Amino acid sequence: MKTVGIRAAYMALAMAGTAFIALPAMAEGKLTVSTPQDPGSWDPIDTFLVQWAAVATNIFDGLTYRGPDLKLVPGLAESWEELDEGKRIRFHLRKGVTFHNGEPFNAEAVKFTFERLLGEQGAKGPQRSNYVSIDSIEIIDENTVDMKLKAPDPVLLTKLAGYGAMIVPPKYIAEKGEDFFNANPVGTGAFKFVSYAPKVNIQLAANPDYWGGAPKLSELDFRFIAEPSTAVAELQAGRVDLVLPPTIPIGMIDVIKNDSKLELVSVPGPTVDALRFNTKSGITADPKVRKALIMAVDRATIIASILAGEASQIASFQGALSFGYDPEMKPLPYDPEGAKALLAEAGVKPGATVQIDIRGNDATMNEVAQVIASYLQMVGITATIKPYETNVLLNDIIPQGKTGAMFQQKWGGWTFDYDNTAYSMYHSGEKWNPYDSDPEMDKLLESQRPLTDRAERERILKDIAKYAADRALELPLYNSNAIYGINKRVQGFVPAPDTRLKLNEVSVN
Amino acid sequence: MAGFLIKRLLQAIFVVIAITLLVSFAIRLTGDPAVTMFQGGGSMTEDDLARIRQALGVDKPFIVQYLDFMKGLLTLDFGRSFVGNTPVAGLIGAALPATLLLALISMVVSIALSIPLGIKAATARGKSADQIIRILSLIGLSFPNFWLATMLVLLFAITLGWLPPSGMDSALTYIMPAVTMGVILTATNVRLVRTSMLETLQSQYIMVARAKGLSESKVLYKHALRNCAIPLITYFGLQFGGLLGGIVVVERVFNWPGMGTLAFDAVGARDYPVLQGVITVLSLMIVGVNLLVDIAYGLVDPRIRTE
Repeated sequence: MKTVGIRAAYMALAMAGTAFIALPAMAEGKLTVSTPQDPGSWDPIDTFLVQWAAVATNIFDGLTYRGPDLKLVPGLAESWEELDEGKRIRFHLRKGVTFHNGEPFNAEAVKFTFERLLGEQGAKGPQRSNYVSIDSIEIIDENTVDMKLKAPDPVLLTKLAGYGAMIVPPKYIAEKGEDFFNANPVGTGAFKFVSYAPKVNIQLAANPDYWGGAPKLSELDFRFIAEPSTAVAELQAGRVDLVLPPTIPIGMIDVIKNDSKLELVSVPGPTVDALRFNTKSGITADPKVRKALIMAVDRATIIASILAGEASQIASFQGALSFGYDPEMKPLPYDPEGAKALLAEAGVKPGATVQIDIRGNDATMNEVAQVIASYLQMVGITATIKPYETNVLLNDIIPQGKTGAMFQQKWGGWTFDYDNTAYSMYHSGEKWNPYDSDPEMDKLLESQRPLTDRAERERILKDIAKYAADRALELPLYNSNAIYGINKRVQGFVPAPDTRLKLNEVSVN
Repeated sequence: MAGFLIKRLLQAIFVVIAITLLVSFAIRLTGDPAVTMFQGGGSMTEDDLARIRQALGVDKPFIVQYLDFMKGLLTLDFGRSFVGNTPVAGLIGAALPATLLLALISMVVSIALSIPLGIKAATARGKSADQIIRILSLIGLSFPNFWLATMLVLLFAITLGWLPPSGMDSALTYIMPAVTMGVILTATNVRLVRTSMLETLQSQYIMVARAKGLSESKVLYKHALRNCAIPLITYFGLQFGGLLGGIVVVERVFNWPGMGTLAFDAVGARDYPVLQGVITVLSLMIVGVNLLVDIAYGLVDPRIRTE
């Protein structure tokens, strides 16, 4: 009996060995990822959430692709050319690609995707507004499509790499219906959908036929964990391999650094923080006062001490990765004496007060605002800090122009294009611009929008940044890093600034 | 009994209407779900917002939205979530068992612990056993649940590595959330059992029971406990409501996919239908439990049954 048992064990071992040798290409290993929010639907046209993209980048592909290096490369389109002075883009599609359900990817799928996005279905979601420059899609042949534009759109090719422009399967959606598609997504991506439990997790499995090569992992499990300390505890317990931003607060960085099994990986992200000014009324209506308030605050020290160096100083309301960023542009220096002189010149008496509105749940900003208040105190300005619930601040206080003299604005467009920020912040009548109306600024902003000449557009965007800084429209604070917590058993991980991670090259030990 | 039940039922319906009306109205004062949906989306025009509002149905007057919601409620249709367009009934269907299970386990744990401990404290009144139980219960009462939860995670999940820190997958994941809820409940309940027991033990019929020569355990568990059951049942019933409220925090720390998590996320996203659905279901349950408590009185105390 005993020998039989041992023999069976040897047999099993041998068989396991054979299985291992027979399938060298078949990857093994499961990666568990913690992401802070469940987007509720996996349909590309339903959401703007970064947490959607963090998962869906593995399920869907766009015509173009933009990876962690932020360079635009071919995706489902092998190549493209601009025709009719930028008003028509011809895409040559990748051949032999199929959706996870076996449906072929072709010109018909591209046409369907964009007609759905711009049609009735897309009208119910927020994504459509990003793609309104598209007029129509014309099928040239099975593998060629023309995208006709209403006006040239310089950011369109970038936008085609993400979110609403992900190519979806026409037959699958027609047969199964929109509701089913929301919860059971099918794309052409590196991983196939397996299961989704709302508020719990979404599980994916490797797509061995992926056009970009079979993934090295066999399984991906994205767990929705909102509470930062819980996500970090799971990481420490080894039940999560990777914690996605924005989860890990500055205060918990040391917990990860001090754990020998874990590693902290960070990369400059799209998020920038500024304190904007009420430029319409009160003492901050005077640009001299605004400049004085900027000069009174030692931003470099704030970054080094409170943000633990996980941020970089900014001179305009954009980070270094943004298109339109000017490395020559320097922030106003920290100069309390100069600030006092400017304030005196503007007739502001010591003891004048300003109110700073911030997001109450932003732990870092709560500390930063206190430090700013004490810097302002040193030049004779008394600041009071007013924390709001984030949604109230964003939905009501800012758009209605009910803020204090200064208010926190956190911004980060995944396109990394300064136009996205500048237009929303500075153009007259925009939702996020309750106070300022400047025909000069409007003209600058409008002039760059239709330009497909990158160099010319970049020049104008730099001018916009300079002009905004000359008028001191905001106190630029910092560009935060995207912070990832990671288990050292994970190999080949490249942090993405925009959290849109395609995990096909990652493996686990 | 039938008249009493009908009266309580009508009361319950009124309470639920009042609560849903208040909640639906209040959350609509705090922001526009269309703006929330555009967060991170860059520039948005008034047209975009109007289009989204129309799709979500929040362009209609409040009273129309509320009546639509109540109409759906009659067929158990809670509408669809603003986040992802999922039917709310499905979300609640998945979350409610998770919450109820956790609440039930913690209540059972707490009742199983607090009755013997409370009786012990009462019978050993003033002695060291009583002092220890009372001090422990005071300590238990003073713990904020989020703090206790975090400390348990730190000790058992990270330092010792015995238990998973969060989630609801294996039986092990139930331990820490149930203990967190249970400890705080037990701390209150022990004191309640003790006081109630002390009162009962001074009654003359206890003296009679003892004089008859009954064993001490028979006196305590058969004669005394049954008589002090009424205030205890009332209290445990009312506690259930509080328990469902307190569970929001515990669910968040332990990433428990229950009603608390659902409500928390819904508030953040201004997801009116989900929030309305969760509050309605929870208030129905609390009202229902209170109704059951009233019925339980009758079962425990024959005097109420005959009245």
